[in-house]
Amino acid sequence: MALLQNILWAAFLLVVVLGFVTYAIYFERKVIGWIQLRKGPNRVGPLGLFQTVADVLKLLIKEDTIPNKADRFLFILAPVITFVPAFVVLATIPYTADWQFADLNVGLLYYFALSSISTIGILLGGWASNNKYSLLGGMRSAAQMISYEVPLVMSVVGVILLSGSLSLNTIVEGQAGGFWNWNFLPQIVGFIIFIIAAVSELNRTPFDLPEAESELVAGYHVEYSGFRFAFFMLAEYVYVYAIAALTTILFLGGWHSPLPFLDFIPGIIWFILKFSSIVFFLFWIRATLPRIRVDHLMSLGWKVLLPLALVNIFVTTIIIEIFK
Amino acid sequence: MLENFIDFLSNGENLLFIIFSMLVIVGAVFLINLQRVVHMVIALATTFISLAGLYVMLDAEFLAFVQVLIYAGAMTILMIFGIMMTKHEKQNEEPKRALHNVLLLVGSIGFFIILYLAIQDAVFPIQEFTSNEENTKMIGIELFTWHVIPFELVSVLLTVAFIGAIIVAKREED
Repeated sequence: MALLQNILWAAFLLVVVLGFVTYAIYFERKVIGWIQLRKGPNRVGPLGLFQTVADVLKLLIKEDTIPNKADRFLFILAPVITFVPAFVVLATIPYTADWQFADLNVGLLYYFALSSISTIGILLGGWASNNKYSLLGGMRSAAQMISYEVPLVMSVVGVILLSGSLSLNTIVEGQAGGFWNWNFLPQIVGFIIFIIAAVSELNRTPFDLPEAESELVAGYHVEYSGFRFAFFMLAEYVYVYAIAALTTILFLGGWHSPLPFLDFIPGIIWFILKFSSIVFFLFWIRATLPRIRVDHLMSLGWKVLLPLALVNIFVTTIIIEIFK
Repeated sequence: MLENFIDFLSNGENLLFIIFSMLVIVGAVFLINLQRVVHMVIALATTFISLAGLYVMLDAEFLAFVQVLIYAGAMTILMIFGIMMTKHEKQNEEPKRALHNVLLLVGSIGFFIILYLAIQDAVFPIQEFTSNEENTKMIGIELFTWHVIPFELVSVLLTVAFIGAIIVAKREED
C-alpha cells in the first residue's frame, strides 16, 4: 500500500515537472521576446499559451530516425541516461517543512552525485551519433560540466559549514526568522559562485558552448529527432527546475518568509515565489549576455571560481571557529 | 535446498541484493568481453553504480553517493580518453586456440570448487550492528582526528602526482 502511494506521488511529481517544463519554455520565449521588443509566441491558443503543447506534440509524432552508422544501442540509451538522473534528483527537494519525498541525511551529496551521471549520457549521445559536430558538442559539454562541477560543489561547502548538515531540510531550518538569516548574506561569495557555476552546469547562455549553433550546428543532439530529442530537452529543463529549487533551499531560505510578520502566508507560496524569480533570472541573463569564448570559459572556471571558492571555505571556517 | 532459495528470495532486501550484485558481476564480465572502448566504459559504469547500490543497502549512504560522484566524473574522463586515444573501428579478434580454452575451463572450474568448498566451511562471526543516523559526521570526525596524518599524507601524495602529470604534459608540449 505504502509502495503504491509512493508511486502515485512520484507520478504526480512527474506531471508537475512536465507542466513546469511546458510553461517554462513558453515563459522563456515570452520573456526573451519582451526583452527584444518582440511579441513571442501568440498564435496557438489565447496569448499563445498552447504553443509549447503544440511543439511537444509535433516532436512526439515526428518520424523517429536513427542514423545508419550510429551505434544503435548507445544512441537509444543516451537520452535515458541523461533524463533519469535529472528526474531522480528531485526526490530530496523539500518544498515545505513536511512536504518532501525523501529526507536523506546526505541529500545535498545525493543531488550532486546523481546529476553528474547525466554528463555521461550527453557525451554518449554525442559519440553514438557518429557525427563530428555532435562529438565536438559532447566533448565540450563534458569538459564544461566537469570543470564547473568542482566550483559548484565547493561553493556550497560554506553553507554546509554554517548549518552543520548535508540534509536539505536541516539547511532550510537553519535559515528561519527573516531574510537576514538566509545564507546568501553570510555566503555572498559562495552564492555568486554557485549561480555562475549553476548556469554553466545547465549549459545555458552565456555558457551554452556545447550547443553553439553557429559553430556546431546544434551540439551533441544534432542527429536526434522526435521524442529522443525531446528527452534531452526535457532533461535540460528539469535541471533548470532542480537548480532553481536548490538555490532557493541553500541560499534563499526555502519556505521561510523574508520578514517575520509575513509568516501567515503559507511556506509553499514563498517557495514558489523565490523559485520563480530564480527561473526568471535565468531567462533574463540568457536574453542579456552574449556567449563566452571557449578558452575564457575554462580559465574562468579554474583560475577564478575555484580559488575564490577555496578562499570562501577557508574564511568561513575561520569565522565559524572565532565566533563559536 | 530449494526452500532455502525461496526463503532467501521472498525477502525484498535479499532480492535487491541479488539484483545489484548481478549487475556488478555482469558489468565486470562485459567490461572484459566487449570490443569497443566506449562500451567497456559503460559496462564499468554499471559496475560502479551498482556497487553504490550495495553500499546504500549496507546503510552507508555517504560512501555510496561519494562513489557515484567520483566515479561518474571518472567515467566521463575515461570515455573522453578512450575516444581520443584509441582507434574508432572494432579491433579484429585474435584466433581462438582450442587448448587455451580447455585450460581456461579447467582453471575456472577448479577455482569455483575451491571457493565453493571454502565458503561452505567458513564461519562468519555475526556481530550486532546498529546503523548510525549520523554516519557522515562520524566519518568526518574519525578522518580528522584519529586518521588525520594518513589522510593528509594521501592528499599530499595526490597533489604531487597531479602536479607531476602537469609538468610531464608541459614538457612534451615544448
